[in-house]
Amino acid sequence: MTETISVRGLVKTFDATRALDGLNLSVKTGEVHGFLGPNGAGKSTTIRILLGLLHADAGTVQLLGGDPWRDATELHRRLAYVPGDVTLWPGLSGGEIIDLLLQVRGRVNTSRRDELIERFDLDPRTKGRAYSKGNRQKVALIAALASDAELLILDEPTSGLDPLMEIVFREVVREEQERNGRTVLLSSHILAEVEALCERVTIIRDGRTVDTGSLVEMRHLTRTSIRAELSRPADGLADLRGVHDLRIDGEIVHFDVEPGTLGATLRFLDSRGVRALTSSPPTLEELFLRHYATTCDSTPEAAR
Amino acid sequence: MNVLAGTRLLTRLAVRRERTTAPWWIVAVVGLGLTMVAYIDRNMPTPGVLATYAETINANVFFRALGGGTSVIADRGFMTAWRSGGFLYLLTAIAALLAVVRHTRADEDTGRTELLRSGVVSRFAALTSALLVAATVSLVAGALTALAQIGAGLAPFGSLTYGAAIAAAGWLFGSIAAVAAQLARNARTARAITLFTLGISYLLRYAGDASGQAWLAYVSPMGWIHAVQPYRHDRWWMLAVLTGTVAVLVAVAYLLNDRRDLGEGLLPERRGRATAPGLRGPARLSWRLHRGLFTKWAIGIGVFAVGAAGIGTIVPDVGALPPDSFGLLQQGFGSGGNSADYVDFFLWAGVLLFAHVISIYPVLMIQRLRAEERSGRAELAQGTPMTRVRWAAGQLAVTALGTAGLFTLTGLVLGFCYGLFTDDLPGPLVPVLIAALSCVPAAWLITAVSFLAYALTPRFAMPISWAVVVWTAVLGKIAGPLYNVWGGTPFEPFHYVPNTLAGQPFSPFPILTTLALTALLLLGGLTTLRRRDFGR
Repeated sequence: MTETISVRGLVKTFDATRALDGLNLSVKTGEVHGFLGPNGAGKSTTIRILLGLLHADAGTVQLLGGDPWRDATELHRRLAYVPGDVTLWPGLSGGEIIDLLLQVRGRVNTSRRDELIERFDLDPRTKGRAYSKGNRQKVALIAALASDAELLILDEPTSGLDPLMEIVFREVVREEQERNGRTVLLSSHILAEVEALCERVTIIRDGRTVDTGSLVEMRHLTRTSIRAELSRPADGLADLRGVHDLRIDGEIVHFDVEPGTLGATLRFLDSRGVRALTSSPPTLEELFLRHYATTCDSTPEAAR
Repeated sequence: MNVLAGTRLLTRLAVRRERTTAPWWIVAVVGLGLTMVAYIDRNMPTPGVLATYAETINANVFFRALGGGTSVIADRGFMTAWRSGGFLYLLTAIAALLAVVRHTRADEDTGRTELLRSGVVSRFAALTSALLVAATVSLVAGALTALAQIGAGLAPFGSLTYGAAIAAAGWLFGSIAAVAAQLARNARTARAITLFTLGISYLLRYAGDASGQAWLAYVSPMGWIHAVQPYRHDRWWMLAVLTGTVAVLVAVAYLLNDRRDLGEGLLPERRGRATAPGLRGPARLSWRLHRGLFTKWAIGIGVFAVGAAGIGTIVPDVGALPPDSFGLLQQGFGSGGNSADYVDFFLWAGVLLFAHVISIYPVLMIQRLRAEERSGRAELAQGTPMTRVRWAAGQLAVTALGTAGLFTLTGLVLGFCYGLFTDDLPGPLVPVLIAALSCVPAAWLITAVSFLAYALTPRFAMPISWAVVVWTAVLGKIAGPLYNVWGGTPFEPFHYVPNTLAGQPFSPFPILTTLALTALLLLGGLTTLRRRDFGR
């Protein structure tokens, strides 16, 4: 499988701050790749370098087989981009902006455009200044998804969408990938969204890649966080296979469990007289607190 | 709910926010008043000269209508108010209308009003505090002008009337803005409605006084202000009429304010088109985004060119100029022999004056590139094949053509109207058009310098480009005589444009040099832009 995006040892410094500090990123052709990191980790800076808006200070960047800085115009014919914070021209309507963004890229598939406007429930005649944040994002998303670009770069595309629209977004991205084999780079700080769409993820923090791989390989990402109230002592819970990060707080236990051993763990809890149980996917914040805390604390930046 | 709840608090907030704005407007009004006194004292120092001037002005329909009314009198106080052309009224009106919109609709647009209204704040509080602040600013501007005029030795009663008329202008347009802020759904439209009313009423007033069709001036709110005629008729009853009108307008604003929802307006929000099949490529995007600016400029330049042509009809009648002034004109504006007359020099000075004003248009267009970059809108555009060099080149093309268009308009309107008013068509039309077009390359050079500044140091591009405009004007042939340097200095591009109107030979060399320099700077700008980091 070939690489659509290949970034090695990327460094970018703004005045005194080192925004990117040796970042690596590899996106294979045809995959939906999750680009995860807390706010300020360097996701948007990386994307701006991939678009040739910023110049890399060091490292190598390859995008669709070209150099994003040198070959920007040719490469942009083959990609579509949705910024994290979409600003629209106040005097142009949503429909005009969508047409502009599609037409500068080439031929416009009008039926596809109209279908997406319908599915995302957008009023194309409203002026840019009158849209809410979510609707501004929809304008940029429709323009990107209606194009025939082989690569979609989406920077936190659902941060302003309501849950219903998020579902539409996931459906459309899945269709695009399955039907048209498009490659998608999806930056996010919401683990659940990445889990729902991506095969592989790259996790970054303080401008560095801390982990990368497929979701299946990164089992810690697919664990379930459990909080249970037991009537008998939880002796032996720590020895169960697949249980991690256990904390016992009187009758209440908190732990993470791997998907493969969830059944056995639940049977154990039953045998200890479980009275209350909540389970949830781990949030990115928890992952950073627990799983990546050690990885990061060893780096000088994270030590502060 | 108590209708006044929260008004005191919001007024204090508005006063706090006005601290950096209102004083400048007041200084501008008072300063312009004193400048007019100094102007009259310098140019019409004795009652005899003053009487001669009054006679000359009364003989010219375009000129005598300049300051309101259909004739002038040889009175020092009257002439200072008249000569300002009502600009003190205009300035105060603009200050008041902007303040009212700023503290009502603009706050509503940004959601600040919503935040405040969730507290113990009545729905009338924002409107009340905005009107109070605007009325106070107008009153202070009027009162200080009256005091300054009395201090300059003008009639105290006339000065007080003048000050009251200035304050009334602020009140009147402040209350029109209050109504507009209820009608429109956003601050931009509210401002546009009020400024349009102001512009039309100024033109109606001038047209009425110049044509003798008095009803034109009577239907214009600006006409009522001018009808006060300080230092001559001192019509205080007119001020009473104005106060009554203000009361009615304010009542209407409150009524509308009571009947609408927060954030809503009575005029529907204009909707855009659902598609834009023609919107492809950077030049068309630039035109679509900035055609409004060009249209406003074209209307403004057109109106002022008609006005300049009208005022210029006084030139052939001027007999009181000192004998050596013709030599100074030849020295200052260039001529090719002695065939030229005052009219030629007037028209050339007019073209140069317009050239300095038009130079602001390309500078604004270049500043919009920076605004696009900062807002993140350019980032959205540049995720497409419209990358930065093409994006900037599109804006430059529209700017260059727009600038040339404004010069063409100046030449056509000024030349045609002057010919029309002096019964000499097509006489000045072609020569004035040629003179105006020969200024285009110099304006393009200013564009190129601003663009290079934007490409090199986006953060300082705005002050640099304004400095270029001011530099060009201050060192130019128009401003030179103000500090006794006839002919300006060779450090600005318009210096090298030949005065073909006064018979100077046309030479392609300066134009080609200017064009080459422009191309070089633009190329440098595009290369620099290509190399730097792009974004916020």
